[in-house]
Amino acid sequence: MAYEKLLTRNIHRDNSHTIDVYLANGGYQALRRVLKEVSPERMLEEVKTSGLRGRGGAGFPAGVKWSFLPKTRDKPRYLCVNADESEPGTFKDRLLIEKDPHLVLEGIILSAYAIDCHTAFFYIRGEFHRGYRVFQKAIDEAYARGFLGRNILGSGYSLDVLTYRGAGAYICGEETALLESLEGKRGLPRLKPPFPAIVGLYGCPTIINNVETLANVPYIAERGAAWFAGIGRPKNTGPKLFCLSGHVKRPGVYEAPLGIPFMELLNEHAGGMLHPDRPLKAAVPGGSSMKVLPAPRCDVLLDFDSLAAAGTSLGSAGGMVMDSSTCMVGALLNLAEFYAHESCGQCTPCREGTGWFVKILRRLEMGEGRPEDPDLLLDVARRVEGNTICPFGEAVAWPVSSYVTEFRSEFDDHATRKACPFGAASVR
Amino acid sequence: MPEPNVPVPAPEAPPPAAAGPAPAPPQPALPPCGPDEVALLIDGRPVVAKKGTTVLQAAGTIGVVVPHYCYHPGLSVAGNCRMCLVEIEKVPKLQIGCATQVAQGMVVKTTTDRVKDTREGIMEFLLINHPLDCPICDQAGECRLQQYSAEYGKGRSRFVEEKIHHDKRVPIGARVTFDGERCIKCTRCVRFCDEVSRTGELTLVDRGGHAIIDTFPGMALDNAYSGNTVDICPVGALTWKPFRFAARVWFLKNVPSVCGACARGCSVDLATYQNRVHRITPRHNPEVNGWWMCDFGRQTYAPVQDMPRLARPIVRPAPGGAGGPGGTAGGGAAPSMGEAIDQAAAILRAAATRHGAGALAALVSARLTLEEMHLAKKALAAAGIARLVVPPHEEGQDDDLLIRKDRTPNGRGAGLLGLGAPDAAAVAALAADVAARKVRGLVILGEDPAGDGLIRAEALRTLDALVVVDWRASATVEAAHVALPSCGYGESEGVYVNCTGHAQRTRAAVRPGGLAVPVWSILREIGRRFGLGGAHSSAPAIFDDIAATVPAFAGMSYRALGEAGAPVKGA
Repeated sequence: MAYEKLLTRNIHRDNSHTIDVYLANGGYQALRRVLKEVSPERMLEEVKTSGLRGRGGAGFPAGVKWSFLPKTRDKPRYLCVNADESEPGTFKDRLLIEKDPHLVLEGIILSAYAIDCHTAFFYIRGEFHRGYRVFQKAIDEAYARGFLGRNILGSGYSLDVLTYRGAGAYICGEETALLESLEGKRGLPRLKPPFPAIVGLYGCPTIINNVETLANVPYIAERGAAWFAGIGRPKNTGPKLFCLSGHVKRPGVYEAPLGIPFMELLNEHAGGMLHPDRPLKAAVPGGSSMKVLPAPRCDVLLDFDSLAAAGTSLGSAGGMVMDSSTCMVGALLNLAEFYAHESCGQCTPCREGTGWFVKILRRLEMGEGRPEDPDLLLDVARRVEGNTICPFGEAVAWPVSSYVTEFRSEFDDHATRKACPFGAASVR
Repeated sequence: MPEPNVPVPAPEAPPPAAAGPAPAPPQPALPPCGPDEVALLIDGRPVVAKKGTTVLQAAGTIGVVVPHYCYHPGLSVAGNCRMCLVEIEKVPKLQIGCATQVAQGMVVKTTTDRVKDTREGIMEFLLINHPLDCPICDQAGECRLQQYSAEYGKGRSRFVEEKIHHDKRVPIGARVTFDGERCIKCTRCVRFCDEVSRTGELTLVDRGGHAIIDTFPGMALDNAYSGNTVDICPVGALTWKPFRFAARVWFLKNVPSVCGACARGCSVDLATYQNRVHRITPRHNPEVNGWWMCDFGRQTYAPVQDMPRLARPIVRPAPGGAGGPGGTAGGGAAPSMGEAIDQAAAILRAAATRHGAGALAALVSARLTLEEMHLAKKALAAAGIARLVVPPHEEGQDDDLLIRKDRTPNGRGAGLLGLGAPDAAAVAALAADVAARKVRGLVILGEDPAGDGLIRAEALRTLDALVVVDWRASATVEAAHVALPSCGYGESEGVYVNCTGHAQRTRAAVRPGGLAVPVWSILREIGRRFGLGGAHSSAPAIFDDIAATVPAFAGMSYRALGEAGAPVKGA
């Protein structure tokens, strides 16, 4: 049976970003029905039952996260939409924001309704100029048609959605740094506990969800939790956007059920390897922050639990493909430079460790390596991992430890030969 | 029937295993605790701690030191240095002791190989970009990086690349210099300016290894409390300009004392070397100043060292020709203290004889200690001087942290001793009476009314007798018939009572200049010339006399004041 596209159903239509096109294709019907017939508690329960897991990286069940909100109502609750998509190789949320903003917006309204929140913030990556304009226009249209504002569709439920543009820091995609940035401060991750569901934006209970996560909610509202749970694999339910970039013929965003084999995504959706004479060397199925898999271990299913079993993670599904021409030291150096640039500088292991990785890797790649450098990289990564305030520590330690471990001979080669066998092409 | 009240024998220890693997050592039982408390184990030792206490704090109560840089008990928790990571049973990742709250039954381990390895790692991270310029660093000797290097450092570096460079002498404020390379970004200074001084000048700018402390555009670290950022800086990044390259801290001797700059009387340490005070830093006292003090107070010592001293007694001829041999102005032999005091008594006696005791008055500084004030009252009473005036010294306004506009450290003490509180109207009346020649003899203790513009020097020169006790060669001293050199701030001991009625001991940190002696000993000698009895052999002895004779101080003892001081019950 052919898979029915859901998240990307509208993106190829002309003017798919406008409310008229969205309405003409059944948009906001789920919202109308829910506001009329379904209680917030029931809506939350439905999302819980659907098994929808967060699409931002950690894969935490959305409905469970929502139920962490305190029962007391002495403070306002906020919903923050994490549209700070910045992971190298990940560009799925951007597609939704630019091509189907009303799907996202309907998801926001339904989710805010489910958690009984009346103010939602849409924190969008600063570089997404077009996405910001499109989304702001979508919000304006929704207000004009009565889908936002006071007394939505006569239901008595009110919601305001405000956009806030980031200033270009990767770390602001980390949920507590996002809250700091949203409050107008430097985007530094907070200590947890307390968790945002208890103490979040402006000290109030706050739920932070990824764009794609919320884009699933209209379908759950429209077709039910059981239908949603039937897509994908057990505990890994629903449709998913997969990004693929690197040495592939057709890099892009592809929709498929969770649990699609990586090789199927690579060969059937993305058209296979870019150069027929350069076979697959390695892939990072989940995104730059996740552990690399060498080609022989790339025969994996793309869902949270399968990839965890394979020793890596689904992350934000920003898959990267590397062919036989890739220097793994150079590739890791490229990544390490990104993380050194984006480390917020708050806590010691990440602030100092990220820069150190770059310095060691640059020496290796430039032919100034020492035999002890690969072990040094592993040892520094070991001391970064798990010791930082936020997951950024792992996001840099995992690539470093996995690239060195999986491709150890290449790192040793660089050190002993005092040269990059691939010509140090990737060093700027 | 009740059981007989006999001690219950302790249960026997389990016998050692005869063979096979040694069983895990049994964990001690958790002690009982109250409803607001939890019991936990730290390094195998039972601890009872209040709910909400952090692991770091609870460990401290049993003497287990969890190393840290960013945590400071007077500031919010930042959790960024990661030095205090400890192992907690059943929690997979190490947890920071500064932010993790204690819980019932928690098992904390601070000495495992994993914890030690992590501390070693944090030290390595902190040092890879640190300049290691310890030989010329003012913080050397009291630096947390040095301390923990000794405990957790590797001794050799695996870092072979070029370190990140920053400016090393940024004039970040009028009194503070910043070295960007030494900074470990613990943000104690940022949090101090946000939370304590509430002036918000500082922030972290740039990211990653290039992150650095800076002021916001157009701002400087110039708040009235900026020196505290230097104190709490765990490394040598923030330095106090007057102390830069002034002394090696390991040669300094810290003497616990009290700041004399205002009526708050912050608890301080006077750091001395080679008979000079080199800096004043706050000493923690929750009853007075918490962890902090103001920048103004840090410089209290400077005038005593920098201004011209009254080093030797001066005796000048009095108009009435009373008294003994001519003074120093005449070029004769310099008088001894005893001779000068004889002369002081003689001219006061002569003025009283000629104009009556009502024509004598005294100006008593609220910067004197309780003991000095007490003897002033006694000695002046013996000399028949009943009119004692205490001048106020006010500047600016009280702020909401520590600074009081009353710039005297013992005005409250003057009031409690019955000298009368500082009173500007009384000073003005005295000045008028001096000008009108109603007052003919004046004793001035630790004040400079001529220099301060309270009483004109010309008017003072018309007096029949002017006796001045001071450490400064002031304008008032210039007009004196007898000037007696006394100890300045930091040179003698005694008690101040601060604005909230808290009594604290100042201590002598350096030897006095010239022939200066404590004010109380001068007053004792003057009093004796007028028949005052009593040994009054030391400040503690005089304080005990105060406690015995002044009801407000009943029951107090000098010794019991200790380093923290005590509230004056009568205050």
